[in-house]
Amino acid sequence: MRYVEVIATDPDSFDDAGWADLRAHLSEAEIVELGMFLFMNLGFHTFFGSLKFYPMFSPDGVLVSQEESERLYGDRPESLQTEAAE
Amino acid sequence: MLRMQPLDLVEITDPEIHELLAECEEFGVPDALFVRIFARQPDQMKGMLRAMLVSHRDGSVDHKLKEIMRIQIARFAEDPYFSALRSKKAMAAGLTEEIIDAGCEDYEDSELFTEAEKVALRYAEQMFLDVSKVDKFFYDEMHKHYSDAEIMEIGAFIALFHGIHMVMRTFDARPLAAA
Repeated sequence: MRYVEVIATDPDSFDDAGWADLRAHLSEAEIVELGMFLFMNLGFHTFFGSLKFYPMFSPDGVLVSQEESERLYGDRPESLQTEAAE
Repeated sequence: MLRMQPLDLVEITDPEIHELLAECEEFGVPDALFVRIFARQPDQMKGMLRAMLVSHRDGSVDHKLKEIMRIQIARFAEDPYFSALRSKKAMAAGLTEEIIDAGCEDYEDSELFTEAEKVALRYAEQMFLDVSKVDKFFYDEMHKHYSDAEIMEIGAFIALFHGIHMVMRTFDARPLAAA
């Protein structure tokens, strides 16, 4: 979780100590698995966010309009960017 | 210094990975180093590599433009590995280092780019520098030059390679050819 947070919010601070931290707990195969998972997740959430679309279904499984979905889920997700800036 | 050593080629026994290695060798992005590091998870790596090749090499948007955008966001991410790689397909089609530098820097005032190319470069730039500027009005501007399919192609391409660059910088890798 620390690796994900650092890459997304403060990549300049990632150093040999951060890498050693990863290696202390994860195998090389697990690190590359995590890396490829992040390939897909770091940029796509930003892209999708710019397109302003929302889940097709309400939390109880009912098909809803995009306007209703936006009302149900909120027009913006809880953002960690403010915390990162601080 | 590279933080994870690549596997020896003899350690990679999956023939599909060797076929993908040959495709990467021909195309240039990524090079074999990337494949040999991530082949530690062969099934995931094969899917990822195919997605990278389809997203970058194929599609209907001008390949040279996508290569400039890729290098632009690699430089934003400060990833030395992907910043240094070059698509052989794009370079063979006439892309030069001068055009790449112009596309990554003061492209708005450059005569080397059409308005459509400038909008695409702006899209890549703003997506990760200030996504709040990628709003309805920005997409309206994109639609003057690109179809929905082309916008999805560009957006997904930028999104994928942004993630790749941000992770790869933590591996502190350099292209094999410069090693």
